[in-house]
Amino acid sequence: MELLERYLQAVEEHLPRRGRKDMLAELRSNLESEIESQEEEIGRDLTETEVAAILEAHGMPVMVASRYGSQHFLIGPTLFPVYWYTLKRSFPLVVLAYAVVQVVGMLLGSQNAGDMGHRLGTALGHFPGVALTFWGVMTLGFAAFEYGQGSLFPKMTLPKWSVRNLPPLEAAEGKRYSCANSVADLIVSVLLVVWLLAIPDHPYLLLGPGVKLLHGMPFALTPEWHVFYWQIVGLMIAMVPLKALTLLPSLRHARGWIRLAVSALGVMILVVMVQVRSLFVAVPGTSLTNLSSLEGVNAGIAFGFKIALAFAVVKFGWDLWKEISARQHRQRAHFAAVL
Amino acid sequence: MSYPTQTVSSSAISGEESAGGELFESLRLELRRGCLVLAVLAQLEQEHYGYTLRKSLAEAGLEIEESTLYPLLRRLETQGLLTSEWREEDRRKKRFYRLSPEGARIFRLLLAEWNRINDSITRIVQKER
Repeated sequence: MELLERYLQAVEEHLPRRGRKDMLAELRSNLESEIESQEEEIGRDLTETEVAAILEAHGMPVMVASRYGSQHFLIGPTLFPVYWYTLKRSFPLVVLAYAVVQVVGMLLGSQNAGDMGHRLGTALGHFPGVALTFWGVMTLGFAAFEYGQGSLFPKMTLPKWSVRNLPPLEAAEGKRYSCANSVADLIVSVLLVVWLLAIPDHPYLLLGPGVKLLHGMPFALTPEWHVFYWQIVGLMIAMVPLKALTLLPSLRHARGWIRLAVSALGVMILVVMVQVRSLFVAVPGTSLTNLSSLEGVNAGIAFGFKIALAFAVVKFGWDLWKEISARQHRQRAHFAAVL
Repeated sequence: MSYPTQTVSSSAISGEESAGGELFESLRLELRRGCLVLAVLAQLEQEHYGYTLRKSLAEAGLEIEESTLYPLLRRLETQGLLTSEWREEDRRKKRFYRLSPEGARIFRLLLAEWNRINDSITRIVQKER
């Protein structure tokens, strides 16, 4: 019977602390009954090999003991969809917050492009750790809630819902909404604003190593730029909260209109650019040939902005028409359902 | 399309199992899980301790691993469906289980549900044939 004692000892090691002795006594009683029953059947004592066969058939000690545990999962099937949804929804926001913090730190703390590249590498290298910490904290939080449900916390119940409150079909409105795309768009907008704000103090962000060549050029940016620059920055900043609003599930019905407002701000930026008559002015001592070239460059760039503005206005008009049509379509469908 | 409607024995299941592979095994275990509770409750209308319960279920054609059955008995007792007591029999202390009044009520409801499902499946399978 030494094998039986060794087996029970191995099982005991993994049994839950609460009720361990009782579980073990019951297991011993059942296994001894089985051994006795087989001995009665064959009319002799079982050999060590036969006892070993019974115990091995009963199962590996750690697996046998684990089945006496009250809970075999961290997050149960009822809570899991909520956990997964929360992870999916909040992860892009973690990426956004991390990106913004790192970029701001990079711009404020970097002296040159090489330093910035080094900081960017470090930030990317640290991100897996941040993502794992976020995942770990979320999982532990939900596991704690699962464990304490019904005792420490009230049991989770699903909120009442109605099929009539579900969002309208997005397929009829063209491109389907994507949370990841919206978050990426928001990150790019924030980075763009930070980049624009950093350019006056860090011109290498605009031209890179070519910034050194600017000093020898026979022309410079027009002084009007100081006015237009801030108008553009203001419009870009105004886009950020609007893009953030498209992430809110409660405003899903207004997403089309919010996107239109963002487009309108984009058109206004081009309007500002078109108003700039001369982008570059000559510095004293510029030759006549260079002056003539400068005029051509200014005219070419101004024409380019006018073309871009024309396209943007047509695109805005088209999106506006589509939004109005979709709204009328939804209203007709709603009335048809009510009647 | 035709389906086997007769009772399938354990040995027949073993044969099918190797043919169906992991997917079949996983679906079979899922199907058995609920049935085991019903079988154990049915068998415990009479008093049994773990080993004799397993033997009686096996004799009735339903093999259950000890490592599944014994923890299941404790869980059903925790849920109030079984009562148990330690008693000496054949010079050895054993833990005897039987249905509690609440267990008996739940068993009747589950059995009715089982019969409804069984009837429905039979009707569906016969219609398909």
